[in-house]
Formats: sequence, structure tokens, C-alpha cells
Amino acid sequence: MEKKKILEIKNYTKVYGEGKKAADNVSLIVESGDIYGFIGHNGAGKSTTIRAVVGVLDFTEGEILIDGHSVKTDAMECKKITAYIPDNPDLYENLTGIQYLNFIADVFKIGASEREASIKKYADLFEITDALGDLISSYSHGMKQKLAIISALIHNPKLMVMDEPFVGLDPKAAFTLKQIMHDMCANGTAIFFSTHVLDVAEKLCNKVAIIKNGKIIDTGTMEELTGKKSLEEVFLEVQDEQK
Amino acid sequence: MNKNSIVLLRTLLKSTSQWNIYKYCKDKKKKGRIIGNFIGYSILYLCLIAYCIGTAIGYGKMELTEIMPANCAITVSILAFIFTLFKTNGYLFNFKEYDMLMSLPFSPGTVAGCKFMYMYVKSLPWTLSISLAMLVGYAIYAAPAIWVYPVWLILTMFLPVIPMLLASFIGFLIAKVSAGLKKKNIIQTILTFLFVLAIFALRFAIEAFARDDEKLNDALLSVSDTIKNIENIYFPAKWFDEAVVQFSVSDILLLVGVSILLFAIIFIPVGRSYRSINSKLKSHAASRKYKMTPQKSRSIENSIAFKEFKRMTGSPTYMINGGLGEIFTILIGLAALIFDIDSLIAKVLHDAPVTKEMLYPAIPLIIYFLIGMVATTAITPSLEGKNYWIVQSLPISKKQLYHGKMLFNMYLTVPFAVFGTLCLCVSAKVPILTALLEIILMLALCAFSTAWGCVCGIKHMRLDWENEIEVIKQSSAVAIYMFPNMFATMALVVLVVILGMYMNLNLIIIILTLIVSLLAWLSYKKVLRLTM
Repeated sequence: MEKKKILEIKNYTKVYGEGKKAADNVSLIVESGDIYGFIGHNGAGKSTTIRAVVGVLDFTEGEILIDGHSVKTDAMECKKITAYIPDNPDLYENLTGIQYLNFIADVFKIGASEREASIKKYADLFEITDALGDLISSYSHGMKQKLAIISALIHNPKLMVMDEPFVGLDPKAAFTLKQIMHDMCANGTAIFFSTHVLDVAEKLCNKVAIIKNGKIIDTGTMEELTGKKSLEEVFLEVQDEQK
Repeated sequence: MNKNSIVLLRTLLKSTSQWNIYKYCKDKKKKGRIIGNFIGYSILYLCLIAYCIGTAIGYGKMELTEIMPANCAITVSILAFIFTLFKTNGYLFNFKEYDMLMSLPFSPGTVAGCKFMYMYVKSLPWTLSISLAMLVGYAIYAAPAIWVYPVWLILTMFLPVIPMLLASFIGFLIAKVSAGLKKKNIIQTILTFLFVLAIFALRFAIEAFARDDEKLNDALLSVSDTIKNIENIYFPAKWFDEAVVQFSVSDILLLVGVSILLFAIIFIPVGRSYRSINSKLKSHAASRKYKMTPQKSRSIENSIAFKEFKRMTGSPTYMINGGLGEIFTILIGLAALIFDIDSLIAKVLHDAPVTKEMLYPAIPLIIYFLIGMVATTAITPSLEGKNYWIVQSLPISKKQLYHGKMLFNMYLTVPFAVFGTLCLCVSAKVPILTALLEIILMLALCAFSTAWGCVCGIKHMRLDWENEIEVIKQSSAVAIYMFPNMFATMALVVLVVILGMYMNLNLIIIILTLIVSLLAWLSYKKVLRLTM
């Protein structure tokens, strides 16, 4: 399958009002079929970058393109083909799970039969079908995370952006999500996600970028980056080198 | 509005709908609370309707029927403007599901527009209650043609739009100015305060301008002239009046057209800056410059009170709603010291035959009317929201927790209340003993407000809110605390002024202090029972 640039971040810089650079000249490319891991310590700039990619956060300099569309000037086109799962999803607590999924399906204009099949498929996979009629406020953190994942999957995005997607998931749900990620990549979807779990990143990703203090300090395919070492060793080495 | 806007608006309404919670909730206690809230709000609306019908009948009896439509338009517009100004920050900006909504294919203008429409729909029960009641009064005395009823009702739906849009736009400008600054919360709060004060000043200025001095002796004519002159300044009130009274099609079209046009125009600049403002408001860079310094220890209660203080200063919405009374108290206290109190009384009471001596026993109640209408204790239990686990998991008893919350309300209210009472007493030359008794009464009122607020806050605690505005402005706890308090205070002011003509003033204040202290003590006991 021919690789296509789905996400292109060019010299992205985010400066906060106080003058601090949360992201400094970040550049990377995620192609169709990639599972791209974005790793770094707490406060390194992962979430800031991710929020800018999905059009939530304004940025100071640079360009972010999704499937050739600029996030700055053509945000709507970008959002139509992107799905975002935040690290701590703020869902509408007083809707039921199914009401929330229908809201997302309505927004993406997914037909009745298509949404029904999609919701059933993923809700069964994540074992929350029984709970879909309950208010989201009664869900555990993990169940909310599963619902957010299902809502991201029902419109078959070209780009899937996830911020710490495995936090709060039980082992079976984490395994299911990994399977889904592999299946999506096989179908040409690009996945860009942040994680602290280096073992997961090492097993799952074909490309990785390491960010520290807002700057990309290393990037490439997993083989290029790690060679014969583990990702954990590489991560700790480059972190120390930058001190 | 496109299809996606309707989907979003419908979802926003559903996500805060008590009916939706009732329908799908399994918790019987929660369902009971929802029914209780519904009954409470129904009673509140009925009281409001009864009050408005009473006012309209009063106008009718005074042969002022012709000013009823304009009066309705002005009342609805003022309320819509003020309430929106207080809510804009929490609804249009800084809402918690911002990330989720902005990552979906909605344009920023759509999100902002839907948030506005949500505010509008939520305000409709109030608007309709006032307008319908006034229509009833108007129908009784004017016996209008049949077409007046649908025209009145339809145009009522448009009446709040223009003032709400103006208030939203001011809120947008305040957010835009403060977003780029370091102390954005404080600056946003100060700017909103300034706007509110400016509006109140403007209200007096318009009234002064609108009143005809030659006719001041005739109070009824003065009211009529004031309303008519305000109409000449605020055109939508005139359009409504002419549309209803004369079935003027051009005025109907003007009110509807300008409302729609303004909605379309205002959300163009709001949409353009929306992401940038929210990005700035929601992002805080960590400076990482902290150096370990000697730390202070506090008692548990003081520590909780300090937490409450930081919670308040962290939210412009909370600060504006919780601190407005205190600011007004300072201003009124200073105004009383600077200006002649007799002329101030004449100005506020429209030259009614009331002397400062007559108001002596009412001074603490007047200050309480400013300070006591919002008690942080009615708000903070629910405001814990998702963070409730923090205090629940700490080794502190509920009693200590609520003592801390009550302590904060006392810290917040007592200094301002005492300052305001002292200023008015000094300015009105209240005898020393009476002034001392009034300060004691003021302290009792603060204690009552704190404890009664806490009872309402605990009894009607709601942690599953979507937006803090729901807790700060629209919760049952706040409504149950505020409305009886407000009406009782207003009635008490009148009562003590009348009693003061026949009884010893000090005796009145002592009796009132004893009653308020008893109520405060009973409320405090109730808090203790609720926190066992």
C-alpha cells in the first residue's frame, strides 16, 4: 500500500503568555498505516502538541497539516477526518452512553444502520453494550475511556490522535485497543499517540518521537531509534544527554 | 442555524436536562431530589408570576395600563442583560467540555452560537413567567384585541435576544482583553465588576435624564414619563410597545430583524477569536521557578477556609457572583461617608417621604440585602464536584469540613458587613448604643446567612454538574437560600421602619437580633445533624 502523509507538523511552536515555549520548533510526519508514538516526561509538551493537532489549541508559529489541510485555515476539513481521545475525557455526564454516541454519530453524519453496526461492534468488543443505557455519570473512569474510544472509532477516521489512551483501561480493553489500532493501520489509518508506557510503545509503534522541554530530541522508525537496545534504554540515554 | 448547530444545541440542553437524569437514573434518592427541585422551582415561578400579576394589577389600578407593554419589555431586557453578563464567562468560555467540542467538526462560531442559544433557552422560563404575568394584567385592564396575545407572546421570545447579545459581546471583549494577561482571572473579574457598576450608574443616569423635574410631585406621572423616556433611549422596548399596542408591522419586523441580524453579526468576531481566547484562558505555563521556602501550618478549619478562598479566586464566575455584594457594600459605605445621606436616600427612594432616622433600624438589613443574598456555603458543597473525593478521603470529619466552609463565609462577609454598617451609622449620625446594637445584629445576620446557606448547600448538594454556573447561579441550593431570604429581608426592612415609628429603636434591634440569632443557632444545629 502506498504511504501518504496524513499528519505533517512543520516547525510548530507554542509560546505561552508568560513567554515560556511549551513546544519549540516541533516537526514530524505521520503517514498512513503508521502507529506513531510520542513519548516524553511529564510536562515535556506532548499534550500541548496533541491539542494543537486536533484544533483545540491555538499556536504561535509553524504549520500543522492533516491530509493536506491546514489546521489553522481549514480546521473543519481536518476535524472531519480526525478522531481525538483525550487523556481524561470530559464527556456529558448526564447523557446515557448511547445518547452520547448518537450525538457524535449525528455530528459526523453517520447513517442509522451504519452507526448501529459500528456501535454494536465496538461496544461488544469493549464489553460495555449493557451499560450504554446508563448515565455516563455512573460510569467508572475506564468505562468513560472506553466510551470515548468508541466515539472516536465510529466515523472511521483517517487520523487517530490519542493522549495516553491506555490509562484507566483494564488489561483486556488495552489488548482490544491494540488490536483495533493494528487493524486500523492495516486499513491505512494513521495513529499518533502519546504514552508513558515505553513497553507498549516499543511493541506497538513503527515510529517514535521523543520530546523534551518542548523540543523533539530524537525521532525515526523504531529500528533506527533503538537498534539493539530497548526503547527504555534509548529514552533514558537521550534524556540524560540533553541535561 | 445549520443541522450541526441543532444537533449541538439539542445535546447541550439534554446534557443538563433534569428530565433526562430522572429518566435514566437508578438512584431513588436522586430521583426524589429531582422531583423536589421541580416542585421548588414551580413554586418559585408561581411566586414570580403572582408578583408580576400583582404589579401589573397595581399599574392597572393606577391607570397606567398603557405603560405595561413597555414596562414588560424593559424588565425582561434588564434582567436578561444582567444575568447574561454574570454567566457569559462560564458558558461561552472556560467550559470543561471545550476540548471535546472543539475537536469535533464544529466551527468555533457554531460552538459559541450554540452556547449562546443554550443560555437563551435556559432563560426562557423566567422571561415567559414575567411576560405572561404582565400580559394577564394588561388583558384585565386594557381588554386588548385578540391578535395582541399571539403578538405579545411571539415577541417575548425575541425581547431577551438583543440585551443578551450585548452582554455576551461585553463578556467576549472582557475575555479577549484579559486572556493575554498574566493575572487573567483577577483582571476578568475586575473588568466585569466595573461593567456591572457602570451599568448601575448608567441606570441612575438614564432615570435622572428620563424624569421630568417639573412633574416630580406627581409620582405616577413620573413613573409613566420615566418608562416612556427609557423607550426613547432603548428602542427594542419601543418596538415591542408599538407592535403590541398598535400592531405596527414595521416595529415587529424591526424587533425580530435586528435580533436575528445582531446574532449573525456578533458571532462573526466571536467565532474568529474564540479558539485563541480559550487557548489563552485554558493554558497555563508552568514557570518551574519555585524555591522551597519556610511553610506555615494552619488549623484544619483554616486550611479548608483557605482552600475555599483559592477556589473562589480561581474562578471569575464565582468571584463575580460571590463578591459583588461585598463590592457594593464598600461603595455604598463610602458614598454614605462622602455624600449627604439625606440626598442619597432621596435619590434611591425617588423622593419618598422617608428620613434617615426612620431607616436607623433597617441599616443592618440594607447591608444584609447586599451581602447576604449569596452565601458561599450554599455553593461550595456542590462546587466540590469531581474533586469531592479529596476531602472525602482525608482524615477530616464532615463537621470539620463544613466548619471550614462556614469559616470562609464568615471571613468573607463579616469585615465588609461591619464596614458598611459602620459607614452608614456614622453618616446617618446613629446614636452610639444603637450603632453598637446594629453591628451585633449584623454579625448575627452573617452567622445566620452562613449557617442557613450551609444547610441549603448540604441538603441540595449536586456533584454531577457540567458547568460551574449550574452550581453558582442556577442550583436549587442557591434558589432555596436566596429567594426566601430576599423576600424576608425586604419585608423586614418595611416592618422595622414602620415599627420604628411606634417603638423604641434599640428594643426593635434587640428583638431582631434575638430572632436572627435563634435562627442562626437552629440552622447551625441542623448543619451539625446533617454532618453527623
